[in-house]
Amino acid sequence: MEPVVEVRALCKQFRVPRREAGLGAALRALFRRQYTTVEAVRELSFSLGAGERVGFLGPNGAGKTTTLKMLSGLLYPSSGAVQVAGHVPAQRAPEFLRSISLVMGQKRQLSWDLPAVDTFEFNRVVFDIDARDYRRRLDELVSLLAVGEVMRRPVRQLSLGERMKCELVAALLHAPRLLFLDEPTIGMDVAMQLSIREFVRRYNVEHGATVILTSHYMEDVAALCPRILVIDGGQLRFDGSIEALTRRIRPLRRASVRADSLPSAEALAGMGRVVEVEGGRLVLDVEPARVPAVVQALIALPGAQDLVVQDAPLEEVMRELFRREAGAEPGR
Amino acid sequence: MSHVATDMSGETGGLRRLGRVTAAMWRLGASEALAYRAAMLVWILTTTFPLVSLALWHSLAGGGAIGGYGRAEFTAYFLAAFVIRQMTASWVVWDLAAQIASGDLSTLLMRPVHPLLHHLMSNLAALPVRMMLAVPLGLVVLIFVGDVEADAGLHLLLAPAAVLMAWLLNVSVQIAVACLAFWVTSSASLFELWLGLYMVLSGYAVPTGLFPAGLAAVVRYLPFHAALGFPVELTIGRLSGPEIAAGFALQLLWLAVFGALALWLWRRGLRVYGAVGA
Repeated sequence: MEPVVEVRALCKQFRVPRREAGLGAALRALFRRQYTTVEAVRELSFSLGAGERVGFLGPNGAGKTTTLKMLSGLLYPSSGAVQVAGHVPAQRAPEFLRSISLVMGQKRQLSWDLPAVDTFEFNRVVFDIDARDYRRRLDELVSLLAVGEVMRRPVRQLSLGERMKCELVAALLHAPRLLFLDEPTIGMDVAMQLSIREFVRRYNVEHGATVILTSHYMEDVAALCPRILVIDGGQLRFDGSIEALTRRIRPLRRASVRADSLPSAEALAGMGRVVEVEGGRLVLDVEPARVPAVVQALIALPGAQDLVVQDAPLEEVMRELFRREAGAEPGR
Repeated sequence: MSHVATDMSGETGGLRRLGRVTAAMWRLGASEALAYRAAMLVWILTTTFPLVSLALWHSLAGGGAIGGYGRAEFTAYFLAAFVIRQMTASWVVWDLAAQIASGDLSTLLMRPVHPLLHHLMSNLAALPVRMMLAVPLGLVVLIFVGDVEADAGLHLLLAPAAVLMAWLLNVSVQIAVACLAFWVTSSASLFELWLGLYMVLSGYAVPTGLFPAGLAAVVRYLPFHAALGFPVELTIGRLSGPEIAAGFALQLLWLAVFGALALWLWRRGLRVYGAVGA
């Protein structure tokens, strides 16, 4: 399959002025300004296929958003190559802009003092959307997101969630082949997060659009993205499925069971590492290869019930991953 | 032959699309202008300086014409200055500089239309609302002052062109200054410097013809005069044929200079644009 996003050795440096605290330092900076070069993205390479849903994960300042902005043509790369939908994003060719959409949780494209429907109508013309397509898509988006009444009120009077739904409508009216979502659910309650998540999944499936998502909410990413790219310090640390990441960081699987009587300590030691034995409840960390045998043994216990085998939660895996890297490379 | 025909139709298709997009921007800008009508009225009231000048010079000219301006000519000059300033005003420097600094420019950059076209149209779209507020104000003043004298001749046909050029010149200067925001923190305050010179040298407060002879000759070559004094003097019929031609030539020259500068800074600026704010 032809990749729709192709990134090779991508770098972005920012030159930012720096000075110590205080008036004296401020005066000195007037005459001799000091700069630091911040390497936001370093030698990043990856490619994405059409229709993929991919999550960018990483701590604050890891370079996720900078990468997203280079993919959407807002930022010029310092070096390296980017191709998105057959275009070099920074050239911002109209055809390229018509095939992508960027939704930023902290920025808006809707006119603040006008009803959202005015911006929708504006986008219809600007993105050259056929009148019938526009009608059909608007009806569909409006009913999916339930903003029929909301879109006729001035944007400044909408709640955060209502506004974000209208932002999504505005972003999707031209049916982009690529959808970049930067923290789309930031500050929203769980119900709203769920409905936006579900909506994005549906859009991806029905339109075959490629979706790239950054979010601080691990559940967003875990629920939505079969593939994740972990970025830290501007570099790619991991590229694959959440399961594969979990296996790598936390290879042991956790089995727990309740039973009337539990095996002896020696028998348990042969199964795996005991995490907890208490009042008829047993928790074990087990090598993946040994899971079938252990499960059989546990089911065979007298009065066995509530047998569960699971991966560590993504949140824990990520914490572990970044902790290890911080340990491996001191001073960063 | 056939591919030429296709190219031609592609060209007109592109033009038609540009027309539609421009019209849509105009509608959006006009809706916003209506939403901000109160703020605009306040702004117009802060730009009534020519009307104050009018009162002053009108009474000074009671003792006889000053530098070729009698009472009626002063009335015509400052009313024209007030209205033409309204028509050629722009606020793109504040909007654009703020968008660059805050990262809000990103929204415009994501649309398949030039962001500067957006700003041009949003300024132009406010014109009708602005005129609806400014013209009655001018009329009230006219009724109070009473006498007005201006030549109604063929030159009036050229006035719209001079006003349009003056507006484009103002916008170009503002865009150029706003683009400095790609590199420095508060570029819009630099514009205050320009505005200060404009107030004095454009003919806004005093017709440049009343300046001491040597100074007047220099001042009338500057971009400030091209941006206001020239269209005002043309409108009220104070210029000869050759003076009109020279005025247009100067407008073109300054527009070329500042237009090129604005576009150059815009292109360079986008390369360092930080798109800040998540």
